[in-house]
Amino acid sequence: MEKHTERERMEINPAIGIVTSGGLKENLQVRLNGSPQQVQEGSFIVINNRDWKFYGIATDLQLQSIDPRYALEPSAARLPERLAGQLDRQTLYTNLVVLPALMLERGPEVDTPEYPAWRKAIDSGDRDEPRPMPVKSIPAHHAEAFLAAAGDVAEIFGKPDEEGNFVIGFTREQDHPVCINLPKLIQRSSGIFGATGSGKSFLTRMLLAGLIEHNRASVLVYDMHNEYGLDDTASDTGENVRGLRSGFGPAKVQVVGLGGSATIRGSVPDFNLVLGYSDILPEDVELLTRELNLKETTATVLDALVQSLGRERWFKAFKEMKRGAQIESEDGKKIPAPDSVAFWANQNGVNVMAAEGLHDKLRRLFNKPYIVENPPADSIQALVEALKKGKHIVLSFGDYESDLDYLLVSNLLTRRIRSEWEQMTNEFRGKNGSEPRPLVIVVEEAHKLLNREMAAQTTFSTIAREMRKYYVTLLVIDQRPSQIYDEVMSQLGTRVCGWLGDEDDIHAVLSGLAGREALRGMLSRLQAKEEVLLLGWGVPMPILVRSRRYDEQFWQDIKTSKKAGFDQAKAIKNLYGD
Amino acid sequence: MDKTLQTEVIVGRLLRANTRACVAGCQPAQRFPAFGALVSIELDENTSAYGLVGDIHIDDDGLVRQLATSPDISEAIIQDNRVNRNVPVELSILFVGQRSGGAISHRLPPRPPLSLDRVRACGEGDICAFSGAGRLGYLHFILETQDFPAADLLAAHLLQAGRAQRDHGDAAWFAQAVDKVITQLRNDYEHLMPILEALADVQEELGS
Repeated sequence: MEKHTERERMEINPAIGIVTSGGLKENLQVRLNGSPQQVQEGSFIVINNRDWKFYGIATDLQLQSIDPRYALEPSAARLPERLAGQLDRQTLYTNLVVLPALMLERGPEVDTPEYPAWRKAIDSGDRDEPRPMPVKSIPAHHAEAFLAAAGDVAEIFGKPDEEGNFVIGFTREQDHPVCINLPKLIQRSSGIFGATGSGKSFLTRMLLAGLIEHNRASVLVYDMHNEYGLDDTASDTGENVRGLRSGFGPAKVQVVGLGGSATIRGSVPDFNLVLGYSDILPEDVELLTRELNLKETTATVLDALVQSLGRERWFKAFKEMKRGAQIESEDGKKIPAPDSVAFWANQNGVNVMAAEGLHDKLRRLFNKPYIVENPPADSIQALVEALKKGKHIVLSFGDYESDLDYLLVSNLLTRRIRSEWEQMTNEFRGKNGSEPRPLVIVVEEAHKLLNREMAAQTTFSTIAREMRKYYVTLLVIDQRPSQIYDEVMSQLGTRVCGWLGDEDDIHAVLSGLAGREALRGMLSRLQAKEEVLLLGWGVPMPILVRSRRYDEQFWQDIKTSKKAGFDQAKAIKNLYGD
Repeated sequence: MDKTLQTEVIVGRLLRANTRACVAGCQPAQRFPAFGALVSIELDENTSAYGLVGDIHIDDDGLVRQLATSPDISEAIIQDNRVNRNVPVELSILFVGQRSGGAISHRLPPRPPLSLDRVRACGEGDICAFSGAGRLGYLHFILETQDFPAADLLAAHLLQAGRAQRDHGDAAWFAQAVDKVITQLRNDYEHLMPILEALADVQEELGS
């Protein structure tokens, strides 16, 4: 990076204040030179101290006075304006609270005699090239603080034109682009959070477009509300919002509709997802316990069904059983008909009422049009193969927007995917196959699948915890992060968070992060639809950004982005190792 | 000593002194310097002490006491008493700096002047040189004095010095002096505010 002398840098970007006190635990206090409005909560702050640079985020602004009496009455009431101004400048000031996050050895000034030797040692390999590291020390008294310049932002978050970097937004005051590193983003599961109306969907579209364009991984979107695949209309402005398939075309992004004759807002999807009876396994039913209000006896009944009818046949056979059918026995008594649920229960030592109760409740599944005996094709396999080949899939639920549909289909599909990717990874590690393509599964309304109750049962929590090793990660999208199981939240590497109003949600998003107390207020004061806070392992330090606009200009930028020189194999190796 | 800056107006002679202040006696008929004026006292060939007139004291004598009770006093008697009286007008002077080998510093003089040393009134050139030297460090002698009315002495001095500086091209001097005063006293609200109120009038007079 081009180095400026101290004087040159000061001319370009003057200091905003000096460090007066603080520490690693209680943050740094910077006394501002001028008006408090020159800096805002969330600003990216750089502090220079001799050979080190410290990077932090502004978490608070406090009005201070040398003596409270100076603040209690305007000095202009007692003194002429000019004299009052002189007095105020010396007695009233603003303290900026900075949460220090990173430090970087910057070396001697370019114009000092020490600089050539320092640079030479780095160039010759005797000394490591300085890299930002988590803050382990603090700047000294009177170290000067600055608003981050474009070079500082690029130093920490990467240059926008570097492969793998995606501009997610801009610093609020000075409009410097802030990148998110896509390879790092998909290395672990991540999350996008924000209250309803905070711009989550736009942010998700944008991030997905970045992932798809950079082609690091296949993306599977469980699009519960049919927002991402095809064009949509913005609920607030009424303007057309381009979908991912419209943006990239069907060669890259395919829209899959749930059900044989599904249409998505009147458009025909690229193909349809139809489930066969044999696809439904007992564990798929068990995770619908709350949705179907299933009893404790369900597991026993399901086990008996599988034992007596087979893992692939049980659903069809159970569906075809008749509820309450009776025949007259030879002695004139009413007994269960041979094709009845009760008959099967009696034959298999299952409580009749439990079996009949389960049959009643599963009728909601039996009647689903997208579950048929003989699907025209193995559409699940087709979907998996498309993902393997590098296509990106948006699974639109069409008219099936109920929680039951979402839970059943997403979990069933994810179970199959997990199995496939585990197998591919094992073959690859056993030198019998090629390296699996990384896959990002995008889960909307994630709390429905990853709440405390469900997390233990669904495949999603396993993916969040373990599937990084198997090249599968999650991108969870939710407005109630507090409803997501703590263990899953703790696994989320990158957290992109819009405005949240609920204290529990804020607490959940910040769980496990350093400086969460300082960040808490910032989250609750984000400007809806425009500002997001980037947090977590996937970003070098927390930063507040004004999010990029998802509009035609965005798509122009995406289409003209540079791709040359990108080595996918190398990138994957860097991501997951040998 | 830089003779170009030193005025030749002798206003009195030293009566008594210590390291921080002295008292000079003047003839009553003489035009003695005003309250807050800068004066200098030569200590030896190379060294002078600078001080500010912090108090002007006119003592009575027996004749004045008798005359004061007389119903009619002629102008001639009044003038005679003023010109020929034996008790001098006393100028109390607060030391605020020194000149040594031509260099002005805002430190106390190395020793007090001796009895009957000459006290000279400083002209505008001297005032500008003294008040423009260093970083206005001498103001702390005024602000910390217990023996003189600090706010009024400061106001009187800054008016004179501010006028001299302005007339010699440095209109910003007064504002710098005010900044210095605020810096010195900002932790002492009760002390600072009356001083600033006193300086408000000076600012108005100077038009700065």
